[in-house]
Amino acid sequence: MIVRNLQQYFPLVSQYTELKSQENRILRVAYLQGNLVQNVKNSTRGISARVYRNGCWGFASTPDMTDVKKVIQEATDNAIFLDAREQKGLAPFASDSPVLEKNFGTKKPRLGQKEIMDFTKEVDSYIAGKYPKLSSRQVSLNCLDMEKTLITSDGASLYSLLPRSTFVVSLSIDKDGDTVEVYNLAGGQGQFEDNFASPEDLYPMIDELYEHLVRKSEGVYAKAGLKDCILDPDLAGILAHEAIGHTTEADFVLGGSVATEYLNKQAASPLVTLVDFAHSYNGETLPMPIYIDDEGTEARDVVIIEQGILKNYMHNKQTARHFGVKPDGNARAYQYHDEPLIRMRNTAILPGTSKLEDMIASIEDGYYLVKSSNGQADTTSEFMFGVVLGYEIKNGKLAKAIKDLTISGVAFEVLQHVTMVSDDMSWSCGGMCGKKQMIPVGMGGPALKTKVNIGGR
Amino acid sequence: MKETLDYCVQVLNERGVDKFQCSLANKKQYEMNLEGTAFSLIRTITDHTLSITVIKDQRKGTIFVNGVDEQSIRAAVDTALELSSTSQPDPDYDISPKQDMRVFQRGPKEPEPERMYELLKEYSQEVPALFPTIKLMETTFMHTHSVTRFVNSNGVEFMTDTGVYELSSIFASKDGEKSTSFNYSGFSMRDLEKSLLERGSLKVLLRQSEEHLEARPFAGHFVGDVIFTPDCLNVLLHLYAMTFLGDSALIGGTSPFKNKLGQKVADDKLTISSQPVSEAMASGYFVTRDGFAADNVTLVEEGVLKSFLLSQYGSKKTGFERAKNEGRCWVVEPGEKSLTEMISQVDRGLLVARYSGGSPSSNGDFSAVAKNSYYIENGKIMYPVTETMIAGNLVDILANVKEISSERVDFGEGIIPYLWTTGVTISGK
Repeated sequence: MIVRNLQQYFPLVSQYTELKSQENRILRVAYLQGNLVQNVKNSTRGISARVYRNGCWGFASTPDMTDVKKVIQEATDNAIFLDAREQKGLAPFASDSPVLEKNFGTKKPRLGQKEIMDFTKEVDSYIAGKYPKLSSRQVSLNCLDMEKTLITSDGASLYSLLPRSTFVVSLSIDKDGDTVEVYNLAGGQGQFEDNFASPEDLYPMIDELYEHLVRKSEGVYAKAGLKDCILDPDLAGILAHEAIGHTTEADFVLGGSVATEYLNKQAASPLVTLVDFAHSYNGETLPMPIYIDDEGTEARDVVIIEQGILKNYMHNKQTARHFGVKPDGNARAYQYHDEPLIRMRNTAILPGTSKLEDMIASIEDGYYLVKSSNGQADTTSEFMFGVVLGYEIKNGKLAKAIKDLTISGVAFEVLQHVTMVSDDMSWSCGGMCGKKQMIPVGMGGPALKTKVNIGGR
Repeated sequence: MKETLDYCVQVLNERGVDKFQCSLANKKQYEMNLEGTAFSLIRTITDHTLSITVIKDQRKGTIFVNGVDEQSIRAAVDTALELSSTSQPDPDYDISPKQDMRVFQRGPKEPEPERMYELLKEYSQEVPALFPTIKLMETTFMHTHSVTRFVNSNGVEFMTDTGVYELSSIFASKDGEKSTSFNYSGFSMRDLEKSLLERGSLKVLLRQSEEHLEARPFAGHFVGDVIFTPDCLNVLLHLYAMTFLGDSALIGGTSPFKNKLGQKVADDKLTISSQPVSEAMASGYFVTRDGFAADNVTLVEEGVLKSFLLSQYGSKKTGFERAKNEGRCWVVEPGEKSLTEMISQVDRGLLVARYSGGSPSSNGDFSAVAKNSYYIENGKIMYPVTETMIAGNLVDILANVKEISSERVDFGEGIIPYLWTTGVTISGK
């Protein structure tokens, strides 16, 4: 249970202070080959304070919800320690005081643990019964609730409950001595009851995944080199987040990221508009809706690239002041004991006007790249993504599946080569983004036609 | 702490749980942060982790909480029991058998804030002085003191009291319009005697980062040699353990080593051990998560696979022996040649300083971008490269070892040399 009324502690505060009470609740259930290998709950809760003094921050946290006074004192002492030595003499930040409550918890009756376990087991049993030739199968359920109260001495106030729940299904078969694997994810923002009504709802996804697995087991190696490719929304979203988004986080910009060379310049094809959305798009709530960030700043969309021109970076209060702009709510912290860092929220390329089938038809010899296993990117925007599902495109039609491969390139160049953008869009909310702390993010986009470097042996 | 865990055991006994394990870890962390070369934040964290696993009628449930008042403990026990009662039975769920009570202590219990500040200040001043084009991005210097008590219903009791300092630093170089990939490194230590630049591999990596301002794409595609740096080899060893030696790979049956115990899986020159209880490890550990006193383990000895990294559950599931620890703290035995000698003997290949890629396939196939790396030809480093990929197989990498360097880097959580191997596909732009 978090502390809802933090206001009472502000008479103890002498400097600009953020006070937060937060609990993260996690449920993980995993069946591997029918064995229950994970059946775990985790609850982490506590209080933290962050104090600003003349340009230096002090932070302290405790799991003891009654120790608010002590935490404020420790954070203040930490700020004083640094201020006494660094003497930066910087002024307070401009004040912002939004007030909001957002509860995305389910309105349905909560299911008991037994019902959730039975649901998960039924999904596993369906796979085991219907696809006996699999060499390995894994069904994992991950549920996360992040509930917090945040107030700042400027008057900002937030209560939020942000849940997400996902099933990940992995299937493998052995073929000619090699193991071939595919996976897919279902669910997203919302608690279990809102995302999963019945095990049967997952079966079409599983059946489709198995079809992909069979085709992949008969697949071919992709040919290495720079190829015309269609990036499915899943990959376009990862490209937007990992390879472009991170380079435009202002702390990375100050650390020398390549984005400094592109500000107000043509960074991508004019077909590309890339936005880090705060909470909504086209009237719909996005996978990771942020209304007020962990510095108490009201969250607004950040248009990073507009019709190919790099327009904005993402900021916290400190970098916003450095660059002379207003912060838009990108300072986020994962746990009660984490300090806010510049993070993305829901990052996506906006849809264009092309039809996916026309995009595929326009390629004589290339690849349709569907699903990524992992991705890494650099402050130069150089990236590498593993691709675990994809198909050849031959003479404008999808052909054989391809085996696991790696794509790489320089993301700004990849976006400069975009020649078609599909008119649809999909979002995913399965991943955690790592940057000192892990944090859940949403990403999405349309399909993109571009040139990508295919790795190979 | 003793009272808290005793209360937990009392509640478990009251609930009639005959098989359980629980541990309570109290952690205090003191951390200084640099953004660029400027001090930005001091952070103090106090936290607890109470972990309870119950096994009843061969059904298991586990909960982690950080609320340790009596009401929270009772709720946690009830939740663990609910998790257990609704799970499926498995005869292989178990807890560790009776072992002698042990108390482990290592490292400083209290941080030295003034000395930490002094060392980090020195780092923030020395880096721009020695490496003028370096941009420090994020540097964290922390002290963590953890006290953990572990008990189970078989009468096992362990107390662990550890203190450690850790530094991590991320950086890149920028000079006018030229900028480099970021790189990072870190290390653990028990004392604050030496300057931070004298530890680990930071000085070498910072120099390399500056050299990469002149990096260029490599044009070509060939199968050749690769020398992995200690930082990079450390990452590969984690991937190797996870892909081939752990519970998931062996229970799932996807490890190519599942029938190779006692057989040759790597070159004769290679001996890899995991040494969490070694005096040399500032960041070691003494107790495994499933309640065994940890010991050092040789995984590969002169190329022969000596041990998997199986937990008690993984061991029962697969029939192979439980490992004496749960990995990490890698130590690779040194070879006889220096890095310079190794480079001088490479006809064509790369010195790879950072592996930017995901986990290999279950058979060991990998493909990654060779970051912060150099092209080698005719025994000489020719130039730093960008946009260069490496592809190969992790089993083959360690089977095709040509040399292991005599020099090693002590990260305080591993002691790792350079490793020269061959048969890696290197692809430029």
